[in-house]
Amino acid sequence: MPELSIALAKGRLQAEALRLLEHAGVAVSSEALSSRRLEIEDESGRYQFLFVKPADVPVYVEHGIADCGVVGRDVLLESGTDLLQPLSLDIGRCRLVVAVRTGVLLSELGLLRVATKYPRIASAHFGARGRPVEIIELAGSVELAAVLGLADCIVDLVETGRTLRENGLKEIEVISESTARLVVNRASYQLKAAVIGNLIGALHGPGVAIGARNQSIA
Amino acid sequence: MSIFHGWSYEEITTPTLDYYSLFEHGMGRAEAHRAFRFTDTDGRMLALRPDVTSAVARAAATLFNERERPLRLCYAAPVFRQQPHSRAEWRRESTQIGCELIGANTIVADLEVLAIVSEFLERLELGGNFVITLSDLGIFNGVAESLALDATSREQMRLLIDIRNGTDLEHFLASYSQPKDAHDFAQLMQLSGKREMLTWARRVIPNEQSHAALDRLDALWNVIESLDLTEHFEIDLGDVSRLDYYTGLIFKTYVNGAGTRVGSGGRYDGLTESFGRAEPAVGFVVELDALADVLRSSPRYANLRLESQAAVSQITENEPAVLLSKALEKRAQGEHVLLNLNEVKQCRN
Repeated sequence: MPELSIALAKGRLQAEALRLLEHAGVAVSSEALSSRRLEIEDESGRYQFLFVKPADVPVYVEHGIADCGVVGRDVLLESGTDLLQPLSLDIGRCRLVVAVRTGVLLSELGLLRVATKYPRIASAHFGARGRPVEIIELAGSVELAAVLGLADCIVDLVETGRTLRENGLKEIEVISESTARLVVNRASYQLKAAVIGNLIGALHGPGVAIGARNQSIA
Repeated sequence: MSIFHGWSYEEITTPTLDYYSLFEHGMGRAEAHRAFRFTDTDGRMLALRPDVTSAVARAAATLFNERERPLRLCYAAPVFRQQPHSRAEWRRESTQIGCELIGANTIVADLEVLAIVSEFLERLELGGNFVITLSDLGIFNGVAESLALDATSREQMRLLIDIRNGTDLEHFLASYSQPKDAHDFAQLMQLSGKREMLTWARRVIPNEQSHAALDRLDALWNVIESLDLTEHFEIDLGDVSRLDYYTGLIFKTYVNGAGTRVGSGGRYDGLTESFGRAEPAVGFVVELDALADVLRSSPRYANLRLESQAAVSQITENEPAVLLSKALEKRAQGEHVLLNLNEVKQCRN
């Protein structure tokens, strides 16, 4: 029986997260990784990994099916789940931006149509500015919506900005910077404090004894 | 409920349907907002009760105004809350069981309630898989005041502590204090532990109000230690939920197998004031359905069912009169009976 189960986002973040964990002493054999199983254990058998879609990581952790998870801040904000975020990881760095077709001025438009994969973040962002918007929720290739006029602007995740440029779009505002977070279930944080504390400490890098409970504080 | 009775708590039944304004006063606007609301024939707003404590506090200040203090009241009742989709707390209707000790603000009153919570969880025989975390809101309030935070930044700091986001908390504090202090405070808020947390907190947090709160926790912990109960208790200074409601000690309970908190409680000395009689109070509530889920998957539950089946006397007879007379006889002795209706001679066509 593994001590801790960790939900990892499949795709962009998965390889980086596994590399980071390996540095922290949690190694997964390449054999296990190449299999199609969605639920595998690390080499020591102490950790169990669940591979799920990024948007599902917060769900698994909030319900306590996984004790913790690694997920992008963008996904976390969008999910609106109630999770602990004890550690910001330096992987998966990107930013959530508002982008328009070059030449379009948002200030000249009335009701904005905004295409995005992040409806919650987008409406919160424009809501805070008192700007009325109509959100158009898309599942991918959001840039196209601005190019073809489905929407006046888009809210999307940008790593280098190359896709935007190549499609003739321009970034006009950064909503938030996003890196991956270690998220932890509220109950697990208390009940498995020692194991989670060790993991946090190990991920945090040597010399930082964050979360090392039961250690005497001099 | 037998545990409450054992501690001399009286059961109270509050209305399922009540004026919405009661809960707005009792729980604070943000929490009350989750109630199912509708209007009465005269246009006033009604709600299905989203909690029981509000109505208990009202009863204490009005119905039981003449009664001697302290009041000891307990309840088990369904509460109703709107829940967002696919969240861990998904029940719109859930059963809460809890108690309130009203009119006493001593540390003994706090300990009484903690002892009841701990007995309650102990009796469930969860194999020791539970934790009760303690904190005192005076600590957070003291820090917020000494930094002279306005309401917005205070809430921002509360949120960062609540989700244990040490990195951002440190950034947030950078504009208010020395980097070293900010770092220490951020770490302190991330951890939970035993007595050493208090010693540590005293070093990191300099203001008087927080120290008074730490002294209260310290006194509480001394007794817990002397009772040899420290195994199930933790000090978690990062617990800063529902500041508008609680005033001093707060605690939460976590049980292995349930992904969410199964219980919470604390001191709410300001609540009864809104009903016309200001007095100190402390109480707690446990989410029974979440606990039942945990128990259902435990091996003990299966045994419990077998035991309760074995305790029933099955009665099989052909003659209706004989069957019933046997049953009545056993019932008179207080036994559980189960009548086998299939073997009875048919009287009807």
